Amino acid sequence: MASASYSTREAVDFVVIGSGSAGGIMAKELSMAGFSVVLLEQGPHLKGADFKHDEWSIEQNEGMAWGRRQGHPQTFRQFENEKAVVVDSDVLEYAHNVGGSSVHFSGNFWRLRPLDFMEHSLLGPISGTNFADWPISYEELEPYYTKVDWEIGVSGLAGPWDPPRSRDYPCPPMPVKSPGVLLERAGRKLGYQAYPAPLAILSKPFNGRPPCIHCGFCNAYGCEVSAKSSTLVTMIPLALASGNCELRTLCTVSRINTDEQGRANEVVYWDADGTEQAQRARAVVLSANGAESARLLLLSESTKFPDGLGNSSGVVGKNLMFNGITRVFGLFPEPVNAFKSVAATRVIHDFYSIDPKLGFYGGGGIDDRATHRGLPMTTALNNPLFSGSSWGSDFKRRLERNFTHACSFNGHTTSLPLSSNNVTLDPEVRDKFGRPALRTTYMDHPDDLQTMKFFAQRTVELMDAAGAIEKTIKYPENGQQNGSHLLGTCRMGNDPQNSVVDKYHRSHDVPNLYMVDGGSMVTSGRGQPTMTIMALAFRAADHIIRNHGSSLH
Amino acid sequence: MTRPLLSRRTFLQLTGDAARGSLVVLSLPVLFSVAEQAKAAQFAASQKAAAGFKTLGAAEATELAAIAARIIPTDDTPGATEAGAIYFIDHVLGSSRSEVLGPVREGLGALQAKAAAAHDGSLFSALRAEQQDGLLRDIEQTPFFVTMRYLTICGTFSLPEYGGNREGVGHQLSGMGHQHAWTAPYGYYDADYAEKGE
Repeated sequence: MASASYSTREAVDFVVIGSGSAGGIMAKELSMAGFSVVLLEQGPHLKGADFKHDEWSIEQNEGMAWGRRQGHPQTFRQFENEKAVVVDSDVLEYAHNVGGSSVHFSGNFWRLRPLDFMEHSLLGPISGTNFADWPISYEELEPYYTKVDWEIGVSGLAGPWDPPRSRDYPCPPMPVKSPGVLLERAGRKLGYQAYPAPLAILSKPFNGRPPCIHCGFCNAYGCEVSAKSSTLVTMIPLALASGNCELRTLCTVSRINTDEQGRANEVVYWDADGTEQAQRARAVVLSANGAESARLLLLSESTKFPDGLGNSSGVVGKNLMFNGITRVFGLFPEPVNAFKSVAATRVIHDFYSIDPKLGFYGGGGIDDRATHRGLPMTTALNNPLFSGSSWGSDFKRRLERNFTHACSFNGHTTSLPLSSNNVTLDPEVRDKFGRPALRTTYMDHPDDLQTMKFFAQRTVELMDAAGAIEKTIKYPENGQQNGSHLLGTCRMGNDPQNSVVDKYHRSHDVPNLYMVDGGSMVTSGRGQPTMTIMALAFRAADHIIRNHGSSLH
Repeated sequence: MTRPLLSRRTFLQLTGDAARGSLVVLSLPVLFSVAEQAKAAQFAASQKAAAGFKTLGAAEATELAAIAARIIPTDDTPGATEAGAIYFIDHVLGSSRSEVLGPVREGLGALQAKAAAAHDGSLFSALRAEQQDGLLRDIEQTPFFVTMRYLTICGTFSLPEYGGNREGVGHQLSGMGHQHAWTAPYGYYDADYAEKGE
């Protein structure tokens, strides 16, 4: 069936804003259920052939992430009493293209665990934070995690390390890499269980797509063979084939309008030619990511919604959570060649929850990685990893050794939700469309920093147990200043006073407006949120189709 | 007669955007009355090579290439010279990094002044490797050197379509090799793991 085409002046059932991890699923589910959908995406519709091993573009010129060089500056400050300044690299990193960041992400695909949804009940309040239970349980989300496994395509090995699952993985785990072997063996010495990393990357042909070719240009890159299970290659083709979904690319939304009853009825955007358009809609799904969705709500202020659309609670944009990250680089006597294949192949979750007796909240996982994503230019720029001159013959000799013989063990950890960590509209800096730039205010909570330190210590021990002959610790002891996990800014909850959407992602204030993306998350999880974002989207779509769909016509 | 040593100030005055090509191509041989025959020959050669440059003048490209050649030297394996890093540098200074063209020219001017002062009016490119390394060590913390290191490395390891990484020199230097895709085993430890059947 041909892809649909709709008039902007006639209301479609849904306008979906953003075609990423959540938006791609929402568009597919709603269109295949028979609803008319216009899917707006600010980036281009890239194909496999567009994805090259181009380190200069991706790492140094924000080729997919955009940013200052493409007319999308962002500003940053740590504390609200400081003036935010434009920074050279992206503060909030996300891909601008059909499929969103599911195209360039690492594919690491941890589910949350039952405790993630009820930590406030288990541990009690944490002073000065907005630590809370989720309004849903793991058991309510589990069927949708399984739906993601099978509709998106996940490789992994079911075992005692997994949270409860109702069905096996569709694909076996990816082959283990040397850094994974080093982590597994080190873990065994120290009494920890390393298990095969679940990945949204195919280890065998599945759903008409080929398996991974292990090229190594994976994390931050698009997959040239469509083995990475992005919504670009899984959901978007189905949405377009439904005959009910029109995808409009290079369209940047400026605001969502409401009618006199306070219902969303129109989405205003600049089309690919820069011409302003307004698409009429019966309902709107906002899935622009944890930063852009909040910005768009704040930009959609009106007399009826003076603090931004759907923001009667005042928490839109607040509770931003990045997840913590620590890295320990180790150099080994034999080649590890971490530059080949996927980002990670083994995970240790023995520290999923740190013992509260240590005096701080936190937890996370440890996985094996390449240093600097295993890429030669970035490695050379950051060389020497361990010691020595940064140029000249000696530098050159050490480069090859460090590139082929080094790897990283990374800690991925919790971030607490804080009102003072947020995205707001910058009062001065504007993007190329004239919209206020995203202003990020972020300083990790002391418990988050303690957790990172704890993980740095554990990973150093693992590096030693693995036999590293030299090592270097990278841990942001003065706070993180950028993030690619954009979580918590439109949090879900039962209480309209302190949450933005209900447990089905419907705005507490606007009955036909849904926010579904990383912003929905109440707590941060342990560092790999995409699987949960996708499961939430399948669940939200399922609920809309079963309960609200009929009221649209 | 005193030799007209070029002051740093004079160099800086020569390094504006309007000075494209003039910094070294025109001014130096005139100002540096000590230019020797060998350098004149080198100058002529660099002029010829300049046919391939879009942004840089021939002689300033020669000087920047000489710096790149010390950052990733040619020894028992190829270096920045064989990678053609200077062509990448020329390309990006005229496009995505045009904002640093001016500062790079200023920095080069300052380096040439030091080279001339320390080595009898000589051009940086005409010095011996150890003399060049000595001058670069003195400025290795400066924005100019940091930028040249950045551009040299990027030019050596980026896709050839940007001008550098010729003949896959960058892939060879990193040890990555030229293969586009891989199969397990990838490294020593996973081969060992498979062999032991862990």
